[in-house]
Amino acid sequence: MRVSDLIALILENLGRRKARVALTAVGVVIGTAAVVLLVSLGVGLQRSATQQLGGIGDLTRIDVYPVYGEPGGGGGIVVMEGPGGVPGIQQPINDQTLEQFAAMPGVTAVIARDWVNGGMMLNYGRLEGYGSIMGLGTDNAADLGVTAEAGTLTLSKGTAVIGAMVPQQFFDPRVRPGQEPPPPPDLLGQTLKATLIKYSTDGVEIRKMVQVRVVGVMAESRGEADWSIYMPLSDVTAYNEWFLGKRINRQKDGYANAVVKVGDVDQVLDVADQINELGFQASTPQSFVQGINSFFIVLQVVFGGVGAIALLVAAIGIANTMAMAILERTREIGLMKAVGATNRDVLSVFLGEAAGIGFIGGLGGVALGWSAGQIINVLALAYLAGQSAQSGAPPPTEAVFTPVWLPIFSLVFATLIGVISGLYPALRAATLVPVNALKYE
Amino acid sequence: MSTPFIRFAGLRKHFVMGRETVRAIDSIDLTIDQHTFSAVVGPSGSGKSTLLYLLGGLDRPTAGSIEVGGQNLDQLDENDLARYRRRMVGFIFQSFNLIASMTALENVAFPMRFARRVRRERNQRALELLRLVGLANRAYHRPIELSGGQQQRVAIARALVNDPQLILADEPTGNLDTHSGAAIIQLLSDLHAQGRTVVMVTHDPRLSRFATNTIRLVDGRVVSEADYEQALAIDAARAAD
Repeated sequence: MRVSDLIALILENLGRRKARVALTAVGVVIGTAAVVLLVSLGVGLQRSATQQLGGIGDLTRIDVYPVYGEPGGGGGIVVMEGPGGVPGIQQPINDQTLEQFAAMPGVTAVIARDWVNGGMMLNYGRLEGYGSIMGLGTDNAADLGVTAEAGTLTLSKGTAVIGAMVPQQFFDPRVRPGQEPPPPPDLLGQTLKATLIKYSTDGVEIRKMVQVRVVGVMAESRGEADWSIYMPLSDVTAYNEWFLGKRINRQKDGYANAVVKVGDVDQVLDVADQINELGFQASTPQSFVQGINSFFIVLQVVFGGVGAIALLVAAIGIANTMAMAILERTREIGLMKAVGATNRDVLSVFLGEAAGIGFIGGLGGVALGWSAGQIINVLALAYLAGQSAQSGAPPPTEAVFTPVWLPIFSLVFATLIGVISGLYPALRAATLVPVNALKYE
Repeated sequence: MSTPFIRFAGLRKHFVMGRETVRAIDSIDLTIDQHTFSAVVGPSGSGKSTLLYLLGGLDRPTAGSIEVGGQNLDQLDENDLARYRRRMVGFIFQSFNLIASMTALENVAFPMRFARRVRRERNQRALELLRLVGLANRAYHRPIELSGGQQQRVAIARALVNDPQLILADEPTGNLDTHSGAAIIQLLSDLHAQGRTVVMVTHDPRLSRFATNTIRLVDGRVVSEADYEQALAIDAARAAD
């Protein structure tokens, strides 16, 4: 039998039992719609969560710290005194290790960093301010993945790039209770007075004044940079040496931290694993995202399972319809065989009819599930936008997302359900003895 | 002397019904020549229809062999048997067995779907055959819109659609009035005259006069005319009692 004739015969047979086919297909429509809607909801929630996390941290960035404390089974690792005299570093981040990081596949930049390890007060006119002051081992803060809102991100001796929230940290210490505080200052291009404070062994306060010119303000990133003041590493090293009263040996003491940038998000976890294996502590928002992703994949499987149960019920409906059809059409099967149909022809016709019911139901289910998802999107986005505004997070763009593969998968799955459901009845039809089928009353 | 077209040798067909074994065909040895019109007659339960279905490859014998046109049906697998039914045999049933949802044209063309013929060719051939049986003007009518005689003529057209050598008719006039039945018998005679081999099962001995030879069955065996008359007389006497 030609394929075109087979399809035509299947459509004719389905067409002559429209009501029954429609009623049976309703079960498949509901099951498929449930699969499409629930999995879309799971995917939408995952994308929304990832989007929110992407706002919190740069997913291509790995922060590397030395491991503190006694080496736990890390034979051969020597406990050293850390920078600033901090004891207990198992292995320093020095120039050799930075080169090791840079040589790892996928790594695009490695930036050594150090904090100011002492008291440092900033003054701008009458205003006082504090911030997380950090020295960068690069002359361009853009290497960290930050962008400039104003000015430049290029650093040179005696300059600083500040985060978007830093001006809000400045206050007037002479404002009395009830008085209006001054607005955050525009620090771009201004020179700040920085006072370094340390105490001698006998408790005497020693101060040192330096000047820092703000050359750039970073755009808000909802991350560490917003509250940071980035300066050249050489300046911060000089401050720290003044605090310690001795020269810092980077080879021995290492850097406080290194930022490793990876070109491809998919490689971040591999690079982080390699760094951990070298005996450092690598942390990345990507590992958190992966955890979240794992959770949402489980959620999608559970959601899909709920829909699949509905499809299973529909499968029983298809099997029942096909079994009834074969009982009703036993003489027709006998006739088909009498006029020369092979067992395979009969099997193909009845399997095709069952698959057709699954396909029709699948089409309806995909359309219904997708439409319901769009309605939920409209309703949920209005609600979530309000929630985001309160929390300050970027508003989600969709609550329910249907990936391209899902309708195709659902349609194939529904058709497959039809085929599996129709298999037993179709086999029964195909193996009927022609004469018995013709005599069936 | 012509070579037998059909040959039954030691043919048996038994059915097990509960604890009882029914011997529907009980050892038949018989030959039928090509281009003949055979009437298989006998009382109810004599095995006429069983013999026809075995000949048509719709059932398999318990023992013995059936040879048609040099082909031994026992040796054919299911696919070959389907091919045999498609190419060699045209069936005509007492209850017509037309598909109610199809038009007369579609019913006639239906077997050609399994012969992999294209739609245009199927329709052309079906229309030609409907014209032959005098129903060209009813081509697009569904079975419910046709009389019994017309339905059987559609069934005859369907039986001829793949141009088979052997026409098997099972009580073709059983559901028809006398006038329609006569027309059907005339059609079968015409088919025989055109060179086809026709085997017709009937319980009506009057129809055997149209046949070139008559096969009389009693209790699953072929009997002589004298024995057959005697069996009918016994049946009639039993019915009278």
